[in-house]
Amino acid sequence: MLKKMLGQFGVDEKRLRLDWVSASEGDRFASIVNDMTEEIRALGPFNRSDGGK
Amino acid sequence: MPKLKLALYWAGACGGCDVAVLDVNEKILDVANLADIVFWPIALDFKYHHVEAMPDKSIDVCLFNGCVRSSEQEHIAKMLRAKSKVLVAFGSCACFGGIPALANFTTRAEIMERAYIEAPSNENPEKTLPQTKVKVAEGEITLPELYENVYTLAQVVPVEYYVPGCPPTVDLILKVVNALATNSLPPVGAVVASEKTLCAECDRKKENKKITRIYRTHEIIPDPSKCLLEQGLLCMGAATRGGCGALCIKANIPCRGCFGPPPGVADQGAKLVSSIASIYETDGKDDIQKMVNEVADPAGTFYRFGMSTSMLRRKHSRKR
Repeated sequence: MLKKMLGQFGVDEKRLRLDWVSASEGDRFASIVNDMTEEIRALGPFNRSDGGK
Repeated sequence: MPKLKLALYWAGACGGCDVAVLDVNEKILDVANLADIVFWPIALDFKYHHVEAMPDKSIDVCLFNGCVRSSEQEHIAKMLRAKSKVLVAFGSCACFGGIPALANFTTRAEIMERAYIEAPSNENPEKTLPQTKVKVAEGEITLPELYENVYTLAQVVPVEYYVPGCPPTVDLILKVVNALATNSLPPVGAVVASEKTLCAECDRKKENKKITRIYRTHEIIPDPSKCLLEQGLLCMGAATRGGCGALCIKANIPCRGCFGPPPGVADQGAKLVSSIASIYETDGKDDIQKMVNEVADPAGTFYRFGMSTSMLRRKHSRKR
């Protein structure tokens, strides 16, 4: 739902990721965070201009 | 005590807020006893230049309804700010952007295209669009500029009080009038409504907050005694300020959120989405997809009145 809604705001759906990691899966946590960081880096900064007048 | 000087103005609005003021019926005579109305475009024949000629701070209270989305509205907002001791953002549009702020999901160019070229009722083969300046034989004529964004009043000028509602209810209007009459105005920045959510003030029976389907209002006739959200209707009461007297709820219609976020909530729509997500019973991806499909327009539903004051405020372009 949040993805669909953010899409209406023009936010790329790659900028939101929902995942489940157990407390014992440290490696998996690190790799998900690294993946996500790389993906966001590739997308570049979010253009949050208010459109001006 | 000399009579108060009162001004009322409509910017980007439908006129409903002005009608709501008239809806106080015979109490309007109390208003007339209390105050001289010095400017009210919908009802009285004062012109902009009359206001312009007034000394600064000579209006005691200005009730300003409507959003600000054109150069004319911004100009009048600044002028009324300078002339008024107390400026009140009156109604959901002035407070949060209101229905007009749904236009923040599109751009000025798209609005112009739709309204003047694309709409089926148009006959405009030369694709003429309104211009802010046009030279005609008699001279130059001008129009206000339409802005890319819909702004709230407080995003343009400082505001003392907020009276939410689409439109503000008669009770709230009388509360404001009474506060003026008895000189007992709340602290600056106050929202004249309740400090609780609408849910906290709703009499309906709340039992089991779990739903398996979301309905649109035309799809079911809900039980008038039970919580509307529990019946699968998207009622915004959980993330909406109370104080409206639950008028829609009493008419068996879910809250649409016109009183804006309750105290402590920064983003009304995000709060609503999270409350819906937590009560929808799902058993895997298919159910989640079903829920997403059941809400045709999430952003328009959850930010129906609050786009201008939401965290994202508008649709953002994907490319820089």
